[in-house]
Amino acid sequence: MDLSLVERENVLLGQDFLTWLWYKTDGENVLFALEDKRTFSLHMEQKVSVQGGEGETKATATVSSPSGELTEAKTGLIHGKKVNKAQLLFSMDQDDWLVQINSADFGISGLKTPKISTKDDEGDDPDGKFLEKMFLVERCLEMLDIVFTQFLTLRMSKEWNEEAAKVKLWING
Amino acid sequence: MSILSASLGLTRYRIIEDVPKETLQEVPEKLKQFCFIDIDATADERSFGWTNIDDMLDMNWTQSPPEKAEYFTFGLRLDTRRIPPAVLKKHTTIAINKELEHNKEQGKNFVSRDRKRELKEQVTLRLRARTFPIPAVFDIIWNPPANRIYLATTNAKVRALFEDHFALSFDLHLEPLTPFFMAMDILGEEAAPKLENLDPTIFV
Repeated sequence: MDLSLVERENVLLGQDFLTWLWYKTDGENVLFALEDKRTFSLHMEQKVSVQGGEGETKATATVSSPSGELTEAKTGLIHGKKVNKAQLLFSMDQDDWLVQINSADFGISGLKTPKISTKDDEGDDPDGKFLEKMFLVERCLEMLDIVFTQFLTLRMSKEWNEEAAKVKLWING
Repeated sequence: MSILSASLGLTRYRIIEDVPKETLQEVPEKLKQFCFIDIDATADERSFGWTNIDDMLDMNWTQSPPEKAEYFTFGLRLDTRRIPPAVLKKHTTIAINKELEHNKEQGKNFVSRDRKRELKEQVTLRLRARTFPIPAVFDIIWNPPANRIYLATTNAKVRALFEDHFALSFDLHLEPLTPFFMAMDILGEEAAPKLENLDPTIFV
């Protein structure tokens, strides 16, 4: 397949996804459901980066705010930029996962899972720590995939135009 | 980067081909065949290959097997020798000056361009033999039932190295799960024409 085409589609889908996600999770507490019916919530946290333009005119604005105030980045959206990097906080029951995601390749960085026990007890499975960590990492990816699938279904449907209009209202509101 | 890191970087892949059972059975053997080869005693600039995820010095998997529950786990070890540019410049200058002195004794007041290049190569090799390779390990977790492979880094150079060495070792090809390939994985191949013709949404 044409690689430059793949690159274009990556940026397009990734940025539409993260921009939509910000709209979707801003303000209200939206619940998503896992296959086993357990629910989780999702928030954009502290750090977001928006990008617009192409080639030499490409411009990026990154906002990092401990209080979670991201209005400057939202101003970028008003000028036609889209989210290209975001920090997401997934919460399920008492557990939190913090992760940064890049829109262009879905590269994941700064993934913080709930803490795993670090001390070794005699008689413990030597792979216990690893398996616990993998369970938590895969759970985070599963949550991310569920949200992306929900976006994708909407993005490919006729309802997308309506949804995009809502996002527009939110950006300008 | 270790998968146990408190702050983890991750690239996700899927294998394009169907993986035959025999290939999966051969994984431990292939890991040993394409393992990391030490360069401490040589002057090689770099070396890379597979190693035990639990111990980067164990290229024979004597400490623990690569299988952990349903996963295959291993590390990509990459050792690199790097001579600081200022050190190389200094020692090259010393070598050229020495050569110039020698030439002057013979009535020649310069060192030719070719000879300078040759001297620089000699110095590089000599310094490299005296430099310790810097080791780095990147964890890899292969989940065959889910057809997912996780590489514990997002570094583009390491990613390319890993993809090539994986293909060479197992004769299997990896597709990074970027938004487009992820969408194809979720919606199926038949969605490709529709996906390829998407227009970016104008939100404003």
